[in-house]
Amino acid sequence: MSIAVYLETYNGNLIKASKEAITAANQLAGIMGKEVYGIVIDNQVDNAVSDAGKFGVTKVMISSGISLYHPTLYARIIANASKDADVVIFPATVWGKEISPQVCLKLNATPISEISGIEDGPTFKRSIHGNKIIATVSGTGKLVITVRSGIFDLPETGDATATVENISSEITTDGYMKLAEVLAASTGKIELTEADIIVSGGRGVGGPENFHLIEGLAEALGAAVGASRAVVDAGWRPHSDQVGQTGKFVSPKVYVAVGISGAIQHLAGMSTSEVIVAINKDEEAPIFKVADYGLVGDLFEVVPKLTEAIKTVKSGN
Amino acid sequence: MKVVPDTETRFQINSDANDVVWDPSIEWIIGPYDEYAVEEAIRIKEKHGGTVISVTIGKGIEEKSIRKIMAMGVDEGILVNNASVNGSDPVSIAKAIAEVVKPLQADIILAGKTATDSNDAFVGPAVAELLSIPVITEVSGLDVNADGLIATRDAAGRKERFESKFPVLITADKGLNEPRYPKIPDIMKAKKKKLETLDSISSPITNNVSLLKVEFPAQKEGGNKITGTPDELVAQLVSGLTTKEKVI
Repeated sequence: MSIAVYLETYNGNLIKASKEAITAANQLAGIMGKEVYGIVIDNQVDNAVSDAGKFGVTKVMISSGISLYHPTLYARIIANASKDADVVIFPATVWGKEISPQVCLKLNATPISEISGIEDGPTFKRSIHGNKIIATVSGTGKLVITVRSGIFDLPETGDATATVENISSEITTDGYMKLAEVLAASTGKIELTEADIIVSGGRGVGGPENFHLIEGLAEALGAAVGASRAVVDAGWRPHSDQVGQTGKFVSPKVYVAVGISGAIQHLAGMSTSEVIVAINKDEEAPIFKVADYGLVGDLFEVVPKLTEAIKTVKSGN
Repeated sequence: MKVVPDTETRFQINSDANDVVWDPSIEWIIGPYDEYAVEEAIRIKEKHGGTVISVTIGKGIEEKSIRKIMAMGVDEGILVNNASVNGSDPVSIAKAIAEVVKPLQADIILAGKTATDSNDAFVGPAVAELLSIPVITEVSGLDVNADGLIATRDAAGRKERFESKFPVLITADKGLNEPRYPKIPDIMKAKKKKLETLDSISSPITNNVSLLKVEFPAQKEGGNKITGTPDELVAQLVSGLTTKEKVI
């Protein structure tokens, strides 16, 4: 009896959301009195296994030599590796959310999506109605859980080593199912849901031609760039940058809202950030109600000075 | 297509704190991501031919939204109008949809990437699993050809491209298209389109997920405004971020 956690990797390394999923799994293991084991699928798995061990995972089940992500194949492998688990945990990433429902049905389990907290019972906290309501839910039977990114802390690091077990190889890529294939995957910018710092621009930025101010500040801070819905709907920024109810839910250490008034659907997407900085010339903007640092001023004057000041601080370190 | 509360709704919590108050004043809308799926289905039909059939699990308030997507270009609708199915767990909902969709033998099944109310992101991939067909989620670019399609999406800062033959299930993300506004004559025509209502389904109904409590998220203690010259604003912020928050 145990808790399985799918440890999503990219190029052989655990992604941040997988480390947070380990924390969630360890928490749940404490409540339920269960063992935690990891599942890794990648071409090279050694780094991921070694890191999982350091984070306290005692056993990792592996499927190596798979160089392309494939939802159907991954779902089959993970279901195979978690047949005897009481709970299977996934990071709530694009991959995790794609695979976990398939695994859930293969295992006749009950799904609980995007948890943000675990309490005795066990019961789970999750956001519904676009982050405006926090629900406490419980599930019957075997559970398949996805863990919202950016909520759980990273697990503590030790010097333990995980044992390794191969996942039984009765898995075929052919069969009754026609298979989709990943043709191209290229890395780019810092992902919003993985970022520690986010700088977002709103309508106050005035136009796409001024977004270099946001990008410059983000670069100085080592931050990801986000945007409000108004900006995305106006076509100034790609939809993947949108923070809010019909965009991404983010919870970084620092969220800098520049020229964003703070509509309810935007606040729903970022108000759990640890530190919120708002830069807006409208003193009445609702964003100031959630801001730890509410800078009342013209962004065109403040942002360039702020960018320079941060560069100075960083170069002095 | 799921019908959900307007995303601008400000919810109240009931006196038992175990659900929101289902106030009659709540506006019900087409699920925002489902609307991208509907628009894409119509565009595919306009380019390649075929029929677009919508499937909705509901509780009696859905017809207005179904007529709206019919005015956009959906040809026929199926509504499973049953409160116990509608209120069941995500697995049962997926099984009910799979049961209704299977005999249609669709080449492409489109759904929204998630429902903005329950936020499970479960039903799309689950229906694909139940029908034994591939699924590609959170798609923001789609190119359909004679016997399959190419889908692209953003995943963890990368662009991923998938290729699949029919049948395939796609879940739609924002950016896939810009949904159209229905034209007045189409709104009139939509009233006459076929809407089949099913009172029950044969797949099992389970309630394996229990909602125990609802609450508002902890309100952030904000409201700390800083005024002054731009230099003063920057100095205060940088000092706060370096010495108090220790984030830079």
